[in-house]
Amino acid sequence: MLELRNISKDYGNFSLKDINLSISPGEYFILLGRSGAGKSILLELIAGLRSPDTGTVYLNGRDITDEKIQRRKTGMVFQDYAIFPHLTVFDNIAYPLRIKHMHRDKISAEVNRMAKNVNILHLLNRKTNDLSGGEKQRVAVARTLVTSPDIILLDEPMASIDAPMRDDVRQLLRKINGMGITMLHVTHDYSEAVRLAHKVGVIHNGRILQTGDPESVFSRPVNKFVARFAGIRNYYRVKIYNKAGNMYAESDNNKYILPEGTYPDNGLLILKSDSINLSLTEQTTHDNCIRGKVTEINRAESGYELFVDTGDIYHVLASKKDLEKLSLKAGLSVFLSFSSDELRII
Amino acid sequence: MDTRSTFHWIILILSSLVLLFILAPLIGMALDTSPAEFFQTVRDEEVQDSVWLTLSVAFMATLIFSIMAIPFAWLMARYNFPGKRIVQGLIDLPVVLPHSAAGIALLGFISREGLLGKAADAIGLNLVGNPVGIAMAMAFVSLSFLINAARDGFAAVPERLEKAAMNLGASPVKMFFTVSLPLTWRNIASGFIMMFARGMSEFGAIVIIAYYPMTAPVLIYERFNQFGISYARPASLFFILVALVIFIIIRILSNQANRRLKRVNLTIM
Repeated sequence: MLELRNISKDYGNFSLKDINLSISPGEYFILLGRSGAGKSILLELIAGLRSPDTGTVYLNGRDITDEKIQRRKTGMVFQDYAIFPHLTVFDNIAYPLRIKHMHRDKISAEVNRMAKNVNILHLLNRKTNDLSGGEKQRVAVARTLVTSPDIILLDEPMASIDAPMRDDVRQLLRKINGMGITMLHVTHDYSEAVRLAHKVGVIHNGRILQTGDPESVFSRPVNKFVARFAGIRNYYRVKIYNKAGNMYAESDNNKYILPEGTYPDNGLLILKSDSINLSLTEQTTHDNCIRGKVTEINRAESGYELFVDTGDIYHVLASKKDLEKLSLKAGLSVFLSFSSDELRII
Repeated sequence: MDTRSTFHWIILILSSLVLLFILAPLIGMALDTSPAEFFQTVRDEEVQDSVWLTLSVAFMATLIFSIMAIPFAWLMARYNFPGKRIVQGLIDLPVVLPHSAAGIALLGFISREGLLGKAADAIGLNLVGNPVGIAMAMAFVSLSFLINAARDGFAAVPERLEKAAMNLGASPVKMFFTVSLPLTWRNIASGFIMMFARGMSEFGAIVIIAYYPMTAPVLIYERFNQFGISYARPASLFFILVALVIFIIIRILSNQANRRLKRVNLTIM
């Protein structure tokens, strides 16, 4: 188990502030944050490549805050892999074993076993310069795994990998985590968190804003920043009031019916793009329905994304079938309907 | 680039002039030296001794000082500290000093009245007029070539490779010898050759520290002063040819060492 208690580090123009984080054994934790949010610095603090100003790092109950880098049992996979360019793939993987003065036969057996595990057995005699990003990633992972770390720290592992290869790497990371190894993976990519994480955290300006399981963080973000990271594009500043026992939220341009509950007087209303139904006529099947005009239609990862101007700009996802059925095009008037249960106030 | 342009021809002519400027005196010297004169000089024990002294002392000075200079270069590449620019200025200082002035400064330090001179004298060693003093003079004027080349090499090695090595269990010493040093090998070899070459050709500082035993540049100067250019020319030619052969050998060896480095690197782990 990894536990960070009140970790702070000040660099003058940037600081990590009061970081508290707990990762259970065997858990795959993804820390999301923009570039410069402090993700990599946090990993380096855990690995011992930097020292915190205050706070404590525990790994499996052991205080490793002042422990030597070499004895921490934290395996770090760097963003661009940090493969030693003067060594072959075999020698890269064997590097930590040679450091330990392991017997040559054992080294060979261990390197082969690990290379087989990560599907790079055929690359062992190759120089590293001509390897692809995905292959280098596997070498870096194998090299870390032979050290039998208590936790693997992954710094943006997909950043330098071509999109078609990312599925393979994700599969590899799942496989390693499946072996019971705890993983802390930092990234700016929300989709990686959705696909891999048991738990996620969001870091911004050196502070962790929210942690939890992906479902709770992405469906109930604590603020606008986390909402953006969760892929939520529709959020509007609203005033909230009670009228005749019903709760309403009102932005400058639209009025919304909220589900029953207790709300602050002001807040941010958020609505996921895939929770909105499109129609050409006003719908009564949902308790919220607003009229707008399609301003832009773009291809999206699956289907299409539409921007609809209702006074507020809405981001809506639609399938190709919907697009054809409704003959959607820019300039067309449409109705957006959604259930009040889909609305969140933060 | 259009190779028929006027610009191209101007560049070609200017480049040829520079090359001619370098080669013409050397070719002229070779042509003006008869084979008989040359071989007589080669057989001259005094010339042989001075060439050997120059090569061996320059090599040893480079080797010994590199043990201190290479880690120093790593420090300069990796760390920022108050006064780093001043330290860098100090490293470069011997290059811009008049070498005779450097010799005078060094003489004050290593003569019997100087700090190091006194210490050496206590163990019965007089650094002035001694190959050790010559080595110091050579190193003083040439050390910056090695430090700067190695520093640039270390700076070009991504720091994360060193971090990765330590994360994989390497101590700082092992990290240095298995990652930083092998990846900087070419720069260090170039710096080593530059320092060796510069030390070997030094005259100004050495002539003040040790006129005797005579290094090749001092011997050439003395022959020129006493007997004129025709007597100094064959010794100069011999010295240049020997230096050329040595550089070619070092370059070949360093390339081979570079290729074999991986094996060496793995054995020291």
